[in-house]
Amino acid sequence: MMVNSAMRSFEEQWQRRSIGLIGTAGPIQSLQEQAMRRFVNLGLPSARDESWRNTSLRQLAASHFGDALDVPCAPRLEPIEISWLAASDIPTIIMVNGYPQLAWLDRSVLNGVSISTIKDIAKTRPGYLINLLEPLSDLEQRRWLLLNSALFVDGLHLKITAKINTPVLIIHVSSGNARDGVNAPISNYPRVIIESAKNSSATVIEHHVGASQQSVFSNSVSHLDVEDNAKIQHYRIFSTDANTSHIDSLDIRLGRDSHCQQFTMILGGGLVRTNLEAELNQPGAALENYSLLVGRASRHIDCVNIVRHNARNTTSKQTARAVASDESRVIINSKVVVEVGAQHSESQQSCRGLLLSPKAEIDTRPQLEIHTDEVKCAHGATTGRLDPDMLFYMLSRGLDRNTAQSLLVYAFLGDVLTNMSVVGVRSAIENVLIGQLPNSQLLREFQ
Amino acid sequence: MLKISKLSARIGDKSILNGIDLAVNAGEVHAIMGPNGSGKSTLAQVLAGRQEYEVTAGSVSFAGQDLLALSTEDRARAGLFLGFQYPVEIPGVNNVYLLKAALNAKRKAVGESEVDAYEFLTLIKQKMKLMQMSESFLTRGVNEGFSGGEKKRNEILQMLVLEPKLSILDETDSGLDIDALKIVSLGVNSLRSQNRAIILVTHYQRLLDYIVPDYVHVLSGGRILKSGDKSLALELERRGYDWVRESAAA
Ligand SMILES: Nc1ncnc2c1ncn2[C@@H]1O[C@H](COP(=O)(O)OP(=O)(O)OP(=O)(O)O)[C@@H](O)[C@H]1O
Ligand SMILES: [Mg+2]
Repeated sequence: MMVNSAMRSFEEQWQRRSIGLIGTAGPIQSLQEQAMRRFVNLGLPSARDESWRNTSLRQLAASHFGDALDVPCAPRLEPIEISWLAASDIPTIIMVNGYPQLAWLDRSVLNGVSISTIKDIAKTRPGYLINLLEPLSDLEQRRWLLLNSALFVDGLHLKITAKINTPVLIIHVSSGNARDGVNAPISNYPRVIIESAKNSSATVIEHHVGASQQSVFSNSVSHLDVEDNAKIQHYRIFSTDANTSHIDSLDIRLGRDSHCQQFTMILGGGLVRTNLEAELNQPGAALENYSLLVGRASRHIDCVNIVRHNARNTTSKQTARAVASDESRVIINSKVVVEVGAQHSESQQSCRGLLLSPKAEIDTRPQLEIHTDEVKCAHGATTGRLDPDMLFYMLSRGLDRNTAQSLLVYAFLGDVLTNMSVVGVRSAIENVLIGQLPNSQLLREFQ
Repeated sequence: MLKISKLSARIGDKSILNGIDLAVNAGEVHAIMGPNGSGKSTLAQVLAGRQEYEVTAGSVSFAGQDLLALSTEDRARAGLFLGFQYPVEIPGVNNVYLLKAALNAKRKAVGESEVDAYEFLTLIKQKMKLMQMSESFLTRGVNEGFSGGEKKRNEILQMLVLEPKLSILDETDSGLDIDALKIVSLGVNSLRSQNRAIILVTHYQRLLDYIVPDYVHVLSGGRILKSGDKSLALELERRGYDWVRESAAA
């Protein structure tokens, strides 16, 4: 076990809030206790842990984190001011440091979604909550779920019961002003549960933004529970500041003939580690995952996907596109496991990286683990620089180098962008994306 | 318009061009023929500014400027156009965007304003009609999934839109069917004028029936071994290249 400042502060946080989620003893409280104990025993991951080989937490380990406030300093945050995805016609829920601000929500715009806090769920449906939190696992990619399970104080629960056409936006704000004072780093533990009931369909966007002068460690967890025949489009978009370290874990469970389209977009942050674990539990379940990872400055991005085909006739498709400039680094590990009994399943993995500077690095590692016959699995990974023939062709037509390069980068990301069917979201993302590429002004014309 | 003097170029340790002399005046059409691997495409690419080739000796002036001192994009803006032997596919970059960007880059270089969207569309549709290309090619990626002949037509379409002073067409005729050869020739001929010049790189005399050259040159071993008028092409068709090499060696 590694004794360090971060671990000490996590334990202190636990001491301060050992009353737990609902404030009384009971199965949830003991689950949280157990989660904390196990996390403390494991300590922070090190380079010896396979999935942390390329990501150092040394800086995080040296920080001492204070508690984050449950409301922001300002009386009320306006969605438009904190998220470029906000729009007047999009129902928006703001979470401040993991605390849902439901009082700010205009519920009249929401039909077919019921919204509550996880605190409420803990009281009304403890069994359901425990079922989602369990089993606690010591596996390295699930370690941060332990910490979140121990330390989350509240969260958001969405139950989608109908087919809804407008997307629902959740803005996760990491807001500074630690309880214990000036300029100390803070940590928060946002948790979101999204249940898509049978036959429902919806689009849910989680946008992580920063509004903090202080450095922030965000340890967020989301669950997507997609029941039979339900459809969900889920986005997690990270555009926090360079002073944010983010470890996000997304658990997806898919029922019979359900369909989930998941987009992971990293456009900000200092260190961003994302975990995705999907369980295709019933025949006909389908998962599409698209990742768009933009490394610039000294950003470090580490993406781990594990997709398990647990039933026959399940399909998964993963498409990851990473661009790295300056001294940034992007790591993509994606693994597909086809379990015994999952015959006639199909999976595709395509990971591609584009290096835009000599000091940038991209590592991609698609893996396959097949325990049954009669499956179709394809995977491919490539990393390279801009194609000199394409570049020369464009220059020979009179385009300047920056424009030519930006067009090529943009084209490279097209495999992800063109699959974003919510037009408003796509154009908002393209706008931000273009701002992160060289010669952004010229490129706007080509949208 | 173009004056090449003693131009030599290499890639890595391999010397490909070994002292090329060639002068092309406004209004002229020159054909360059020669065996495979003789350096025709290399010459075309060196003129267009491909950095991978290192110019080891010689000079090139183009429209009064030192061509070799210009960047690739500035050469294009100054009115030089290369029709590629193997046009590259650029998936995800829209064909019409590229054309528009190219035209605007050129206009900007000569101090003109950007082309109006409607004007541009009218222009491009007219040129596509001439090349008998369906408008569906506009919305596709640059050369993406185009057949060999379609790629060549797309090159000529770009040339027609950009109206270059000097067009260097590297084997634009290979891969074209009989009808397409006529269409492409029509396009090229439409650009012939007193203040433009064209260099055609080709293996086949057939193209020269449609686009009649003023001069024909034989390039071999990175050198121009023989020059003549259009009858030289006919002679080459009959006799091959050996006699040119032999008489040059003698
Ligand atoms: N990038 C390169 N690396 C190594 N050798 C090259 C390169 N480019 C050209 N060469 C060599 O230079 C020589 C001339 O090539 P080039 O393409 O100019 O010939 P060409 O006359 O156009 O032939 P063809 O009629 O077949 O098109 C060839 O031997 C070719 O292999
Ligand atoms: Mg050639």
